[in-house]
Amino acid sequence: MDNSIDRAADRFAERLGVIDKHTLYRPFNCTLRSVRDLTPSEKMFRLAKLEGGPFGHRPGQFMQVSVLGIGEAPISVSSSPTRGDYLELGVRAAGTLTSALHRLKPGDEIGLRGPFGTHFPTDEMKGRDLLLISGGCGLAPMRALIQYVEDRRGDFRKVTILYGAKSPDDVLYKDELRGWRNSKIFECQVTVDRVPGGTCWDANVGMITKLIPPLQIRPDDTTAVIVGPPIMYKFVIEELCAKGLNAGNIVVSLERHMKCGVGKCGHCTIDHLYCCIDGPVFRLDQVANLKGAI
Amino acid sequence: MKRVLTTCPYCGIGCMFYLLVDGDGILVGVEPSTQHVVSKGQLCVKGWNAHHFVNHPDRLTLPMIRRNGQLESTCWDEALDLVATRLKEIQAANGSDSVAFFSSAKTTNEENYLMMKLARAVFKTNNVDHCARLCHSSTVIGLAAAFGSGAMTNSISCVEQADCYLVTGSNTTEQHPLIGSRIINNVVNNGARLIVADNRKIRLSRLADIHVRWKNGTDVAFLNSVMNVIIAEGLEDTEFVRDRTENYEQLKRTVADYPPERAAEICGITPREIVQVSRIFAAAERAMIVYAMGITQHTHGVDNVKTCANLAMLTGNIGRPGTGVNPLRGQNNVQGACDMGALPDVYSGYQKVAEPAIRAKFKKAWAVKYLPDGAGHAVTTAIDAAAEGRLKALYIMGENPMMSDPDQNHVRKAIERLEFVVVQDIFPTPTTRYADIILPAGSYAEKDGTFTSTERRVQRVRKAIEPVGQSRSDWQILCDVAVKCGYGGMKYSSPEDVMDEIAALTPIYGGISYDRIDRVGLQWPCPDKNHSGTAVMHAGKFARGLGMFSPARYRPSAELPDSRYPFLLSTGRCYFHFHTGTMTRRSRLLDREEPFPFVEVNPADAAELRIQNRNWVYVATRRAEVKAMAHVTDVVGKGVLFMPFHFEEGPANLLTNNALDPVAKIPEYKVCAAKIRSAP
Amino acid sequence: MCRKDTERTMRLLTERQLEAFLRSAETDYDVRVPVALRDGTRTLGRLDDGRLALAGGAIPAKMTNVFFPQMDRLLTAGPDGPDIPKPVLRPLLVVGFTAQDAECLEFIDRFYAENYRDDVYFNRRDGAVIVCVSGRCGPQGRFLEIAGGKCDMEFICDGQSYLVLGYSPVGKALTEKLAARQPAGTATLTELQKESDSLAREDSRLLQAASRLLLEEKVPEEFWRSVSDRCIACTSCNLVCPTCTCFDVFDRVVDGKVQRWRTWDSCQLDGFMREASGHNPMGLEHQRTRRRIHHKLAADPKRWGQLTCMLCGRCDDACPTGIGVKAVCREMVSKYGSV
Repeated sequence: MDNSIDRAADRFAERLGVIDKHTLYRPFNCTLRSVRDLTPSEKMFRLAKLEGGPFGHRPGQFMQVSVLGIGEAPISVSSSPTRGDYLELGVRAAGTLTSALHRLKPGDEIGLRGPFGTHFPTDEMKGRDLLLISGGCGLAPMRALIQYVEDRRGDFRKVTILYGAKSPDDVLYKDELRGWRNSKIFECQVTVDRVPGGTCWDANVGMITKLIPPLQIRPDDTTAVIVGPPIMYKFVIEELCAKGLNAGNIVVSLERHMKCGVGKCGHCTIDHLYCCIDGPVFRLDQVANLKGAI
Repeated sequence: MKRVLTTCPYCGIGCMFYLLVDGDGILVGVEPSTQHVVSKGQLCVKGWNAHHFVNHPDRLTLPMIRRNGQLESTCWDEALDLVATRLKEIQAANGSDSVAFFSSAKTTNEENYLMMKLARAVFKTNNVDHCARLCHSSTVIGLAAAFGSGAMTNSISCVEQADCYLVTGSNTTEQHPLIGSRIINNVVNNGARLIVADNRKIRLSRLADIHVRWKNGTDVAFLNSVMNVIIAEGLEDTEFVRDRTENYEQLKRTVADYPPERAAEICGITPREIVQVSRIFAAAERAMIVYAMGITQHTHGVDNVKTCANLAMLTGNIGRPGTGVNPLRGQNNVQGACDMGALPDVYSGYQKVAEPAIRAKFKKAWAVKYLPDGAGHAVTTAIDAAAEGRLKALYIMGENPMMSDPDQNHVRKAIERLEFVVVQDIFPTPTTRYADIILPAGSYAEKDGTFTSTERRVQRVRKAIEPVGQSRSDWQILCDVAVKCGYGGMKYSSPEDVMDEIAALTPIYGGISYDRIDRVGLQWPCPDKNHSGTAVMHAGKFARGLGMFSPARYRPSAELPDSRYPFLLSTGRCYFHFHTGTMTRRSRLLDREEPFPFVEVNPADAAELRIQNRNWVYVATRRAEVKAMAHVTDVVGKGVLFMPFHFEEGPANLLTNNALDPVAKIPEYKVCAAKIRSAP
Repeated sequence: MCRKDTERTMRLLTERQLEAFLRSAETDYDVRVPVALRDGTRTLGRLDDGRLALAGGAIPAKMTNVFFPQMDRLLTAGPDGPDIPKPVLRPLLVVGFTAQDAECLEFIDRFYAENYRDDVYFNRRDGAVIVCVSGRCGPQGRFLEIAGGKCDMEFICDGQSYLVLGYSPVGKALTEKLAARQPAGTATLTELQKESDSLAREDSRLLQAASRLLLEEKVPEEFWRSVSDRCIACTSCNLVCPTCTCFDVFDRVVDGKVQRWRTWDSCQLDGFMREASGHNPMGLEHQRTRRRIHHKLAADPKRWGQLTCMLCGRCDDACPTGIGVKAVCREMVSKYGSV
């Protein structure tokens, strides 16, 4: 037996202090300030801390949202911290928890943990052209980034927003999208896959990938950010590569089924990465070669 | 943390494990027994989750009485009084047979025995049955006719010793996982031959030497043809046929009508496949037939079973380790419920109610002057009788006929017409909605008793926690009802007392006692206290003396696809859920796996109908329409749909056909005609 | 601290003396030991739960379940908000780790501590005393590797009695309490250590080779398909694995109080990664079969710098169809590489 035995023993000794903290899985309560309908199946919730003050989040991060007795789910924050001491969450009623959220009324309390996860690299994006591409519910986290960019517009150069949804009914944040489309500070294009008969629609029709080829892109000076349904990434990335962007300049936010948000439950692993603590925002070159990531 | 050794409440394999109880008396886990003959430190996914539902908040915890159409909680005394008085009143007005009792394959042997004693000794009716009617009644009758006993002939340990398997109508790895695993191991490691005859591409078919995807319901034609080839090629076991069987000539004549060419056409397969199966099966030294609901749940279920028995006898594959006809029982205690005489024509141990000497024995033991001699209603015919107004009251213990019986609308109308319905269960179910009285029962974790596994092994169930809320064990409730009825012969201090009475009255259980099965269960027949149990039945001599060849002719299923309903709908179970889902749908991980009612659709059919995987569809038969999620998969053949019946919100048994086997009265769950369309 | 120090406190005890010692430790500790239950199944229990069964090798259930049990409360909340979890009254003293088990524990200690510290785990883990059992007391007379300093204390069987060694301060203090017993000869310890050092390391070489094959992506999908054909999704491999840490979370409302629990989960289940939308990045059987083994032998080495299978053998014993880690590695290496 060599010294390593005693070294190991010392390590054990260090651990003997009892730490009396029981906080990791305990949500803190927030007030639901307002609820508004986004689409027939999506609502937006504005939350504030009971004692006021900022949540300390950055665009791209998510919260673990609890309805006690029902459960907990990860939901990305769709508002920028630059807008004030509140959080906005855009939520589609897809499972039991999100359906329970949809039943809540202003004034109700909601449990939150977080913010968790990585955020969009806003510091590294400074001084660069931004290409912000989102699809479906992916606009929820992207909205946080767009608001942030809007509020710090001088930090960035050309900003292009592309958004795609299945049909006009599925388009999120319609008013804001209209604002961005009319805004001088962004170039913003919206498209839908199809327009059912009898629906008004004044923007593009077709897959979001079709919006990319006509764009004027300076590949080395551009950071592209992609958030959308799983099927979207592969095709959008192909188009971006065709434009000369390399994986280091592409940022993706990946959705996985996170349970704990703190890298323990294992549901969101992608190879050796945990989507909840190493992500959800990744540089494409971090994940491009991992099986099952994109 | 307390650990209590008990038997799994799911399938009939009878794995034993320890339930883990925390300081608050809550079940918090399961640990497999490493010493148990079957589990050997292993469990399937349901076993690993068997603790979960017990403390679910949905548990029924108070007796309920219907007042002015609403169910209200009440005290035990009032509920029991009402059960006793109402049942007696109804009988006084309409005769003894106006009341029926549904016993339960989920409850213990002791409880099944008490239920049949309550029906017969207290209420003087043989109207007692349970869900074995719906799963293996054809086995009990078919194998009793052929061999003289209706149980699995061999043991689970025998599965490892076979060198050839014919698996038909059993998705073994999903429904009897630790038997399925033994087949896999023997095939992969020892090169045992595997024949899978099943329309579905089940897991075992991936490892099979040959997978015959016959048309559902053509079992008799196929197996007759296999025997045709065996005889034609002289591959039968002449010595066995000569010494151990009778009626061979008739078998020969019958199967002569099924040459491979003709059978192949009926079955939708090639003659070559039949010849291959025949040669592989006949060449084996130890060939084992393994079957389950795919054989039994037909209008020709008894014929199917007898035909399996014929094949085993023809090739001498019975009475030895590694051989036999092995019906796999799907519920933890469906074997025991049958053994205990929760059947309309027999007392415990299959002693016939029609025989005066047997009745005399029970009269004496139970201290009653009269016991009825005519066969009572089966589960299925009781429902028909209720629908016609001939049956007035039903006492249901741990069954959910609203979901488990065929043609749910028919069942609902029947139950609605009853004057009085008692439901004794652990959770609210679609059936409790129609109850006049609900009696909250204790789960398997809250009581002592025994279950009898598919290999006839009588094993202990042990109380791990106190009854949840005010629930009581089924055995206590049944005894309480008997006392309320003024019967003095059902007072027991413990389930062990009941077992002693069972042993005294039931020859095949004669040697069973709690002392003897404390660590390892015993396999019946176990006639006396010195008998070590029977691993392999019919060795040297069949229970009935000679084995009886009982040839059958192919009869088509009752309702076949046509132009209006072009699909063949087959129903069954999936791996993660159990039966009507009462327990598994309240088990976190199991319900997460399959949270929605689903229907399997072949990719070619799906493409034609523009149905995408995981999209919602409507499945319709002549009886109803049900919404389910499409699972597009080649597990089902083209033209076939498969739907499990676990889901209350998409109940497959709204769709199924209430056509019965003429002898066993088992419904044809496996074949009916259906159509399917996308849900908008 | 040095080896001499450890040897100075070393004692030799019979199993009966050890039992008496463990009973006396119950005043200060919540003592868990290997016991034989009603039908002979060995497990980790209290001294009164069954006959003390130190010999026999690894406990079939994972030892780490004392800190991370199958079901565990994350929080309870009444109408007035969350309740404070019950404090642990006495720290645990857990006997029966093998050397491999101790390595597993070391890893999951790391896992639960890093990034965010899992207070529910450490609520039990902090202050717990870890005791390994090794030497001539393995299954079928096999020698169990000596753990050395990977634990607080160790009972090394010399064939009849147990050498008791304290490694950490608390282990040493406990050992020193046994002062009255006769000290053991150093020669025996050296002999036993030699015996331990000479144990075959074939499995470990096999595992390394398999890990390399996975990291170099030399194992095709077809291999995983053939393995997954034999998987009946029982989840035993995960549930017995001492380094499996995955869990699911669910709520229960009982008598107006919300209980939030976590429960062991399994990456072998389709629902493990399925999202509410129905999308599933691991929706195919062979992807899940690969996932478990790849995770231990390729993903974890990338993340944590170590293999996270310590070859305890539990999944090989618990798998009904013979596709535990060792069996699969053997097959993988024989097909695609060489040891």
